[in-house]
Amino acid sequence: MPDIPPDPAAHPCSDHGGEHPTVLDLPHVPLSLKQEWLERETRRHFLARGSKALAWAGLATILGRSAPHLLADVAALPDRRPQFAPKAKRAIYLFMAGAPSQFETWDYKPKLSGMFAQNLPESVRGGQVLTGMTASQSALPIAPSFFKFARRGQSDRWVSELFPWTGKVVDELCVIRSLYTEAINHEPAILSITTGNMFPGKPSLGSWLAYGLGAINEELPTFVVMTSKIPVKTNVQALSNRLWSSGFLSPEYSAVALRSGSEPVLYLRDPKGVGRDVRRAMIAGVNELNRQLFEHVGDPEINTRIAQYEMAFRMQTSVPELTDFSDEPASTWDLYGPRAREPGTYAYNCLMARRLAERGVRFTQIFLRTWDNHTNLPANIRTMCEDSDQPTYGLITDLKRRGMLEDTLVIWGGEFGRTVYSQGRLQPDNYGRDHHPRCFSMWMCGAGTRPGISYGETDDFSYNIVKDPVHVRDLHATILHQFGFDHKKLTFKFQGLDQRLTGVLPARVIREILT
Amino acid sequence: MMPTCFRGLNSTHALIAGLAAGSVALLLQAGCQHSPVTSRAPVKLSFNEDVEPILAENCYGCHGPDPGSRKASLRLDRAEFAFVPHEKSGPAIVRYEPDKSPLVLRVESKLEKEMMPPPEAHKTLKPEEIGRLRRWVAEGAEYQEHWAFIPPVAKPPPAVTAAPAGSIRGPIDQFIIARLERANLNPSPEADRRSLVRRVTLDLTGLPPSPAEVDAFLADSSSGAYERVVDRLLASPRFGEHRAHYWLDYVRYADTHGIHFDNYRAIWPYRDYVIRAFNTNKPFDRFVREQLAGDLLPARTWDELAATGYIRCNLTTNEGGDIPEETYVNQTRDRVETFGVTFLGLTTGCAACHDHKFDPLTQRDFYRLAAYLNNTAEKPWDSNVADPSPVLRLPRDEDRAAAEVVLTRRAELQERLDARRALGRELVTAWLAGGHRPAPVSPEALELRLRLDEGQGDLVRNAAPAAAVKEFRADTNPLIWGENSWLWPSMRMDILSRIRLGGLGDVDAGDKFSAGGWLMLRLKPGNDSTGNGSLLSRMGDNRRRDGAGWEIYQEKLHFIVNLVPAAEATSASDAREPARTRPVARDGDSPYENADGRPERGISVATRDSFPRDEWLHVFFTYDGSRRAEGVKLYVNGERVDTEVVLDKLTATGSIRTDAVMQLGRRDDFQPMRETRFQDVRFYRRALTPEEAARLPFEDAAAEIVARQPDPSKWSRDEAFVVTDRWFLGGVDPEARKLAAAVAAHTGALDALGKDGDPTLIAVERATPAYADTLKRGDYYSRVERVGPGTPHFLPPPPPGAPDDRRGLADWLLAPEQPLFARVTVNRMWQEIFGTGLVETAGDFGVMGTKPSHPELLDWLAVRFRESGWDVKQFYRMLVTSATYRQSSAVTPDRLAQDPGNRLLSRGPRFRMDAEMLRDSALAVSGLLAEKVGGPPAKPYQPPDLWEEVAMPESNTRTYVPDHGEGLYRRSVYTFWKRGSMPPSMEAFDATSRESVCPRRVRTDTPLQAFVTMNDPQWFESARQLAQRALHAGSRTDDRLNFIARTTLCRELNPREAAVFRRSMDDFHAYFGTNPDAARETLTVGESRVDAALAPAELAEWTLVASQFLNLDEFLTK
Repeated sequence: MPDIPPDPAAHPCSDHGGEHPTVLDLPHVPLSLKQEWLERETRRHFLARGSKALAWAGLATILGRSAPHLLADVAALPDRRPQFAPKAKRAIYLFMAGAPSQFETWDYKPKLSGMFAQNLPESVRGGQVLTGMTASQSALPIAPSFFKFARRGQSDRWVSELFPWTGKVVDELCVIRSLYTEAINHEPAILSITTGNMFPGKPSLGSWLAYGLGAINEELPTFVVMTSKIPVKTNVQALSNRLWSSGFLSPEYSAVALRSGSEPVLYLRDPKGVGRDVRRAMIAGVNELNRQLFEHVGDPEINTRIAQYEMAFRMQTSVPELTDFSDEPASTWDLYGPRAREPGTYAYNCLMARRLAERGVRFTQIFLRTWDNHTNLPANIRTMCEDSDQPTYGLITDLKRRGMLEDTLVIWGGEFGRTVYSQGRLQPDNYGRDHHPRCFSMWMCGAGTRPGISYGETDDFSYNIVKDPVHVRDLHATILHQFGFDHKKLTFKFQGLDQRLTGVLPARVIREILT
Repeated sequence: MMPTCFRGLNSTHALIAGLAAGSVALLLQAGCQHSPVTSRAPVKLSFNEDVEPILAENCYGCHGPDPGSRKASLRLDRAEFAFVPHEKSGPAIVRYEPDKSPLVLRVESKLEKEMMPPPEAHKTLKPEEIGRLRRWVAEGAEYQEHWAFIPPVAKPPPAVTAAPAGSIRGPIDQFIIARLERANLNPSPEADRRSLVRRVTLDLTGLPPSPAEVDAFLADSSSGAYERVVDRLLASPRFGEHRAHYWLDYVRYADTHGIHFDNYRAIWPYRDYVIRAFNTNKPFDRFVREQLAGDLLPARTWDELAATGYIRCNLTTNEGGDIPEETYVNQTRDRVETFGVTFLGLTTGCAACHDHKFDPLTQRDFYRLAAYLNNTAEKPWDSNVADPSPVLRLPRDEDRAAAEVVLTRRAELQERLDARRALGRELVTAWLAGGHRPAPVSPEALELRLRLDEGQGDLVRNAAPAAAVKEFRADTNPLIWGENSWLWPSMRMDILSRIRLGGLGDVDAGDKFSAGGWLMLRLKPGNDSTGNGSLLSRMGDNRRRDGAGWEIYQEKLHFIVNLVPAAEATSASDAREPARTRPVARDGDSPYENADGRPERGISVATRDSFPRDEWLHVFFTYDGSRRAEGVKLYVNGERVDTEVVLDKLTATGSIRTDAVMQLGRRDDFQPMRETRFQDVRFYRRALTPEEAARLPFEDAAAEIVARQPDPSKWSRDEAFVVTDRWFLGGVDPEARKLAAAVAAHTGALDALGKDGDPTLIAVERATPAYADTLKRGDYYSRVERVGPGTPHFLPPPPPGAPDDRRGLADWLLAPEQPLFARVTVNRMWQEIFGTGLVETAGDFGVMGTKPSHPELLDWLAVRFRESGWDVKQFYRMLVTSATYRQSSAVTPDRLAQDPGNRLLSRGPRFRMDAEMLRDSALAVSGLLAEKVGGPPAKPYQPPDLWEEVAMPESNTRTYVPDHGEGLYRRSVYTFWKRGSMPPSMEAFDATSRESVCPRRVRTDTPLQAFVTMNDPQWFESARQLAQRALHAGSRTDDRLNFIARTTLCRELNPREAAVFRRSMDDFHAYFGTNPDAARETLTVGESRVDAALAPAELAEWTLVASQFLNLDEFLTK
């Protein structure tokens, strides 16, 4: 606070009538009182706005870290904090966009090998509406997996030969083979699993968590997404910002897309030629001028802006530190594989996810979007797994070594499953699979999920679930539960309703997969 | 104006009036939560203000309008239900008797089994709220209609005592000050003139005033100086651009389709229409009517057609597996939701699945609205092209005059045709009264007639009078009913559906026979075709007599009649054992032998022309048993079509008989013509005459209807459509036919004139009657009930004579008794200027929305706006010339305490500007802003690879290529808006992706915004240009600083501020002085020219100074 009394007369154009001087305008008021007023008004203003992850951080900065009274007030806001002791502090969601086939990955179907090219029995299909893509075929020939499976780990579970690395940590994984969704096409399905609703405009899972949890690290976003370089040219699925948007929640809960390359956060980098000292001086000047403005105008929003400029300056340092891998030991590269050095690869993103988790980012979502194997499935999925298997293994192992797997939830999976029958021409070593919403596989590990188990069963054709179905809503309820939220209580009033991630239909926490 | 047709109005209205007279204070105070309660004599509680919020929040979830979630059959939201005796315990509310009212007793109970809301609801009433319920019951428990559903009435502005001088300039101020007085607050004094001119220029144009404009205003001390500035701004083309950026949020305008490929969409002429409408001060009713129904008016101008782009702003997809009906239903749902939020302030979306939980909107209401909005001709997918039809192509300048003439003439003809159509039922009644009758086709030798009007299930009836087999069961996949409508709601075969027609159609080549019916070939997104296949057949594969039989086949949109005989044996053993056998049912299998896909035996006759998909076609053939190709005649829609004889090789002994069964939609068990819709499919064992074939499509059906029901007034909508519209007007009435042909000719001429013009998506109404299906849980697959267009049952009905289409919907919205439309509209306009609406939830005026802070002002504004002739500019003028608007925005502690959100308007509006205003302001002060109005979207700077990160490799918006020159500096309303990856600097400032309706943006403040304004090349380049201007403006530091201050802040600096800048400059100077390379690098940001005459270090230094100005809260805030 400057202690020079402001002179309204010397400020002819301030939007200030002079009739109602603020306490700050009064020369005889002691500085300490002015400071107190400023804090009080600022706090009141923030509380009136509702607590906001980034805004808290900024506020703490203005008022100094020792502002426990402030944080206590924030805690007294309408309850949306964890409702019971959370198991997870953070999550890393490895999103396999395009929908990996369960047949080649986590739902081993040995009986199919004897049914090559047989037509899928109508009794199994049960009159299901198929997508437009299999409209051009009148037969639905069964395509057994081209890949072999072997029993791995102490849990003695079947693991595809596509996962030589992940197979090593199969005992950490809780594989769910009985997920299902209503959506048969990518756009509605991917929105359903990212936002709980197949129509645009709803907050994503990560946004709900950011809204509910707030930040651990003030200098990094609460929710980060990364898209991965495409290892194959075909079967690429579209992404869009709506998959990680905050919907009707405040935009500050949208993910910050962390980008590969020299500018991990948009516009983070100072313009060419502008050094750090210049930036510091520039911001110092701006903030000083904003403080002067506040004295005249009294709008607490000005203090928010001051805080955000300070935060921006600090992020310009903390983010490059985050993305500078030079402090990683050699063992890191053994874990994640050499591609982790190449910015933007899935391997790089996995390593980055660990670094983000270490620094307290709540929710990191990595998108890998080339699993839409309508054609050439064996060749494509092999490439996909070669690209992603070791880094996934590396991430789990790394988190475990660092003791972080205990409170970091790792999730792997896509938006729906694929059909047992081939789309297009079926050959023993080449085939494609269409979309299939009735069952698909995912896995979770860490943060209180039961390691080394498989949950849910499908029929011999992985066409229908025969035991322990898990709807996408149940998955969401379970993830929120691990963060300490009752999915019915993490709500936000919008359009007159207490909106929630799991919507209005019943959802249950899959307690059987939790420790 | 006193409304007359609102249900229950008289009593509720009187109640409100009575309450208002006695207790304005209480009513208003409850509406503003922040205001302290001033003690007043107790008056009766108001249901709307005091009680309904409690009930809505805590009770309606289980005891509200939605029967699906209602518990214990108890409904508390309306008086007619609340006092009805209840199953066990009598009525929930006993007037004047709180101790006998379970409502009160249950909320007061501490017993877990009794208490309400129940513990599992996680809702707890405050003691004060419980007390209020008790008191309300004790006072008689009077209900009121929800405030927003009562038509607004303009009461005289309240008299204000002791208002400070100058604080009242008009009625708005009277309302505001009366309210302030009750909170013991004074208005703020008027803002200084510089602040005022800056504020109003930003509000009316989205741009800051130039220093010259500020100076001119300061120099004009005559009365009316401010009003003259306002008038100048309202006349500026910048006004429409600025208003448009709000409107485009309300209609979710963008330049891409939104889903999957997310390709470019040509619809910017609609955006230009919006800008033009505001700039020309198009009356708002006209503006709304054109957007909703410009095509039906009918359109006399391009603008009226381009306006219907509103209907087409929804997201579309072309994802390969997409199920069109699902997408169509979802798109309609989004349309209704957008319409509801923007024009009604109602959250209709909930009612897509079930009756609304809080508002009286039923699911049926929702789908009745949907029926208005879903009867347009476009397909639900976009084919990944920029211009999925229907489109308007704007003729080039040289053709425009001619095209305008054609358009006007077409509109005149269309109006005459519409008038003729409106008379349709009268005309047909008169015609019938004259003894005329539609002539039926004789049912002689009719062996099969599948009407396919069952509407559900898998059993289909054979309606032929002498039918041997009465019904057939479809198998392998369910039939899909009701997605579409023609003679009646349609049936569609799914990919694998099969209808085996057994032994029917057993004919040989010497027999006469005829077959065909109504059908629609259906196309799905992502597929160029759904393949070729057999539409109706009795024909086997090669194992059944070498594929002998007859069929109507579809190949590349040509219809082909094939009569294929078994191979004629040269010896007896050959006949038993065909030379070549193939396995059954392999995809692509065909009995055709040679490469061009034609049979090599028998007769094959194909239409010369191809026919469209997704249109109903009556396809029929007759065969005279002559064994000659010329004996086959093909008819489409009753008219003989030109055919090509592909094969004419049926011998005198060749036999086409087969043991394969007759099938609809496929051959024996292969060659399915997938996904086809069928109606009224027939097989005659005789050759129909051309006259009979001509009567089959409509006249025969009309004859049947008239015979059954000769009184036209008793026909159903479907029956009237067939008899009146299709048959009588379309086939009999010379006047209607002449007019229809003339309209079509003019449309053709317009198409020709616009051939190379810029396309824009428009709406065109379908020929078929509008309808929608109520859907169980909103699922496209679960159709429950077919409904026609209609407005929500709890609101006044459309005015008498309003047509049953989008015109009628507009008529209804704009009628004086419509309670929501005008309120919702003026509230948003208020919100644009003051930052928050009088109703804070601008998109929700329903029960769960916030109450208006100034209900009487809102109503006064609504009525005033309507009665002004919906004069938009005059309305904004009224807002910005009010004393309320002109107040200083400085805030004092007591004001902040008493009115923290400024809901009482005790000070002028002050808030961070929208993304578009910010970027445009930076461009304006730098001098870079391009002033061109309209045209294709512009692509300013954007960080590389943003699109690549999300886009499909096949997308035409995969790679962002920024413009050069002017395109970099155009106003943000023209910036290319890709839905999958919106402009990042706009996103940082809370602009929306335009995927769903946004009635008000959230306003956040984040560090990422600081990155944009400090580092985005657009901003840093603007700072450099501003610095260049400053360096030319003077040689003294103070002059230069003040030049920038005047340009950006509309004022000069005070000494303390100047000192801060000087300190910063010392640092900049030192840095660039010792780092000349850095200085030069700094100047390379942005494409615009660097003034080589200026010293790089000095320019760099001043660029940083200018950047500081552009980052000041004062610059970023209105």
